[in-house]
Parts: sequence; structure tokens; C-alpha cells
Amino acid sequence: MPDQRAELMLGALVCAVLLFVLALVVFVFREAWPSFSHNGLHWFGVGGNPDQQIQAIFTSTDLQRRPVYTFHAWPIVWGTLLCTVGAVCLSFFAALFVAVFVVEFAPEWIRRILEPVVRLLASVPSVIFGLLGVLVLVPFIGHHVITDGNRRSVAYLVSLSGYSLLAGVLILSLMIAPLMIAVFSDGLRSVPRGWLEGSLGLGINRWRTFWKIGVRTARPALVAGTVLATARALGETVMLAMVTGGVAFAPNPSDGLIFFVEPTRPLAATILQTAEELSSPPMRHTIFAMAAVLLFSAAMLSLVGWAAKQPMKKYGVRA
Amino acid sequence: MAQRTRAILGGLALLAVLIVAPATAQAATVFGSGSSAMQPYFDALAAGYKKVDSHTSFVYNPDGGNAGAKDVQNGKSAFAFQTRPPLPSDSGLSYSKLFLDGLCVAVNPANVLNNLAIGQVADVFLGNVTEWQQVGSNLRSPISAFGRNSTAGLYTFFQSAVLNGATQATNVAQLDTDGEVAVAVSRNQAGIGYVGLANSGPGSGVKRLKLAGQPCQASAIKTLKYPLSRYGWVVLPATKPNQTATRFADWIRTSYAAGQIISKAGAVPAFNAKTPPKKVVKKKPKKKAKKK
Repeated sequence: MPDQRAELMLGALVCAVLLFVLALVVFVFREAWPSFSHNGLHWFGVGGNPDQQIQAIFTSTDLQRRPVYTFHAWPIVWGTLLCTVGAVCLSFFAALFVAVFVVEFAPEWIRRILEPVVRLLASVPSVIFGLLGVLVLVPFIGHHVITDGNRRSVAYLVSLSGYSLLAGVLILSLMIAPLMIAVFSDGLRSVPRGWLEGSLGLGINRWRTFWKIGVRTARPALVAGTVLATARALGETVMLAMVTGGVAFAPNPSDGLIFFVEPTRPLAATILQTAEELSSPPMRHTIFAMAAVLLFSAAMLSLVGWAAKQPMKKYGVRA
Repeated sequence: MAQRTRAILGGLALLAVLIVAPATAQAATVFGSGSSAMQPYFDALAAGYKKVDSHTSFVYNPDGGNAGAKDVQNGKSAFAFQTRPPLPSDSGLSYSKLFLDGLCVAVNPANVLNNLAIGQVADVFLGNVTEWQQVGSNLRSPISAFGRNSTAGLYTFFQSAVLNGATQATNVAQLDTDGEVAVAVSRNQAGIGYVGLANSGPGSGVKRLKLAGQPCQASAIKTLKYPLSRYGWVVLPATKPNQTATRFADWIRTSYAAGQIISKAGAVPAFNAKTPPKKVVKKKPKKKAKKK
């Protein structure tokens, strides 16, 4: 009887969680629909300054005027893509090499220090990273990376003050790297020892053995860690709101190196900065539309991660 | 023995609840929201009001003056602090002036510039002027302008008082709070930003500019000579306002003690009593002489 009751309770909890997720998705998309229906696919397109559009949407309900929904979010979507992809690419290689070092090459005493430090880094609140960014990294970029010539070349468009895509990407990669290191390390540890010893026994050197056999076998773990870190980067809000410049501007790769120091503002940071405007109905629908895009991206990310791991099942190491 | 211990502990817990509950039942929490530039004043005034009414505590959400006014309209906040006068869109609200404050234009101390005209400030924040040399500074670099976003009442006031209703240029970095603007300007030699009086004082790391020859100081703000002098406002519902919030606002406006706190915090009392209330000395009744 107790077993049956426990099973029923656990089953009920699982159903409750699934219902909650379903309710969340339905609620977000229902609130977002008016913004998407007014703009169609132009919601994701270019056209005008999103900050001015946000102000127009917010003030449109004053004086009982007709609500305005016009919104072209491309600069914000582009900023989100740049911050996320940049941080994941930068931290992937660093995390992989650190994980390989920790699992295979580090002496025991270094491993005993590194692992708790990595866990500590993963638990630091993002607002602390934001403060470090505002007080240390942003002034450093403003003084030592950006020249007056750089500033003059885009002075009429944006201000290059150190609040930039570069600051956001660097700090974001520092935040997601510990998560990747933890998952990669677990995956590398679960590679069957016999496979590695067999390779070493054939005379192949340690580095080549670990790289060709260990890392290749642990690919499902690498995919899982990357998906988790990407989801974390997509949802990062406070730190990016503090260091990326707060301007809905799409950094332009054709600007050369200035591209990295141009300001931007990702979706999550835009939601944070406009959250106080929820009391205006068209603004509420626009904010929920941004939230719906983030939710959809996270769902697609999980699907892509699952699909990427399917061909790797033959290696037998699961993540 | 264990049962007796449990009974004693249970009795003590019940006693504690009976003592604490009546005390806490009288405590009231009043929620407010609004301008982040007014938050330093609110913190000091709320602490001072504790001496008048120790049972009331306030929670303030500095989500911006415009957002605060909307919160009061929607019933989410009992009161709001605002830094711009009422607009036609503020239906259902009553605005009362509390004290005088100033919106300062601040630069980095490395900038030798001391004075700007209102038109020059407008040109900087509209993107018409992008070099420090164009406004007479010693710096030979482009201007880095910092401002606020549209939820800030401070931005609305700046937009109407300086920009004549135009939207600030895209080359103005939009930061969330007054304090962040002050930090950004203090760490950037080419920085300029508009900051409330409370966040631009000594120790903030920024230098206040004179506007049209008038300093951003209490002496010029009191006489309204400083061009960006403004009143700090309290926003309450026009009908059935929260009584505690109303008493708090009246205390801020009129009492001597609140005036002292406002002066200390850097703003200028406008309507407060200039002398402390006279202490009423109770006279002892005279003893009647006994008849022989």
C-alpha cells in the first residue's frame, strides 16, 4: 500500500509539473498574440528605432488614444543572437580544454582545488558579475580598447563608451563556462577506462588517446553541456542589462573591429528594462511577445540538442 | 519527561504567538513606487517618520516616476514619488508638491567645462553636437552621453524642459537608474549625463555644471533661478487615498523635522515649518492654603 501511495503521489506531481508548463506556455502565447497579429512577420524585421517604438507603444494608451502595436525587433533579436553565440563559442573551447585537463592531466592536488573553485564560480549571482562589469571591464574597454577615432566614426549613431557587445560576451562566457566544465568533466569521466588503456597499450600517446577516443566518445555530454549553457546565456538578464549599453542597436559586422564595441540590448534585458510598463496593455502584449520568442528559442534548443545526440548513441556513453 | 518538555515548549510557543501577534497586528506596511531619483530622499524621510509613527513601515519600488504614477492609477501602489508635474494622462490622480529638487547636468571631474547653455545641453542629447571641443571643453574626444529610459519621470522632465519634447538621440546610452548614470559619468572622462541632485553631490565622483550661469545647488534652486529646478511630487489617488500615505505626505510637506531631513539629504524644503513646534509646558496646580 505505501508503495502504491508513493507511486500515485509521484505520478500526480509529474502531472502537476506538466500542467504547469503547459499553462505557462499557453498564458505567454495568449498574452503575446495581439503584438504578433498586429505586426505579422515584420515583428522580427527591421524598420525604425525599437526604443522610439517602445515609447510610442507605452504612451499610446494615454489620453485614450488608439493603442499602437508597431514594433520591429530585429536589432534586439540580433543583439541576443550575437551575445549568446559569441559567449557559447568563446566558452566552449575554454571549458573543453579545462575539462580535459581536470579529468586526465591534472595532478590530484590541483584537481582538488579546481573542482570546488569551478563549482563556486557557477553559483555566483549574475548581479555580482554585472557590478564587476560596470566597475572594471566597461571602463577598461572604454579607456584602452576604444580609440577616439573609433568613437568619431559612429558618433552620430551610437556612443562607444565601453558599454558594449564585447563586455557582455566576455562576462557571459565567464558565467556559462563553469556549467560546461562540470557537464564535460562528468562526460569525460564516464568514458570506459578500458578503451583508453587499450589505446595506450598500442603505443598511442596520452594526448592523442584522450582526444581521439575520450573526447569523441563523450560527444553526447559535450552537446548536452553546450545546450544547457546556451539556454543559460539566452535567459541571462541582469548582467547583460548592466553592461551592454541599454540601446536597441544592431551591431554591424561591416564596421570592422568597432562591431565588437558597439552597444546593444538583448531580449531578456529589454524585458527587464520595460517591465515597469506592464500596466499599459499594448506594452504588456509586446513584452510577452519578447518572452514568447525566448520561450520558443529555449524549446527549439532542447529539440536540437536531442536531435544532435541521436547519432551519437552508438558510442554508448550517455549524457 | 519528554512529554512534559514538549508541553512546556508548546506553551512557551503559544505564549510567544499571543504576545507577538497583537504587536504585529498594529504594524502596517504601505507600498509606494516611483522615481529612482527620489529614492535617497524617501529612505531618509521614511526613517525619520518612524519616530512619528513607529507602527508603519514603507516599501518603495523605484521603478521610475511614470511607472509609479501608473501603479497608483492601477491600485498597485498607495502612493508614488514623481519628478515631473501632472499630465492630462494622469487622470484619477492627485499631485501635491513636496519639496524642491534640481536636475543637474554632470560631467567627469577631468572635464574643465563649468557652464553650458540649455540649448547646448539639448544639442548634446539630441546628437547635434558630438565633440567636446564644440562646447568649449579641454577634452579632445567625442562626447559619451548617458541618460535614462522612457519609464523614468526624470527623463520625461528632461525631455520637456531641455529637449522641447523631442526624443533623445540613439547615441545616448540608456541606463536604468540615476545612480548608474552617475557611476557611468564618473568612470568616463568624456561622459556627460543628467542626474538628480541627490546622486550628484560630493563623493559621487561627478562634477555638476552650471546652466546659464546658475549652479545646481540649493541656493539657486530655492529661488527657482536654476533652470532645471523642479518640485518633487507625491502622487495619490484622487478618491479614497490611503490615510497613512496621506499623513506621511502631509508630514513631509509641512513638518519642521521633515524639512531638516530634506535639507540634509540635499534638496530644498519649500513648505515646511521654519521653527520647531513649541513644547507645551504643563503648569503644576497651585496648592490651596489651609484655613486656620
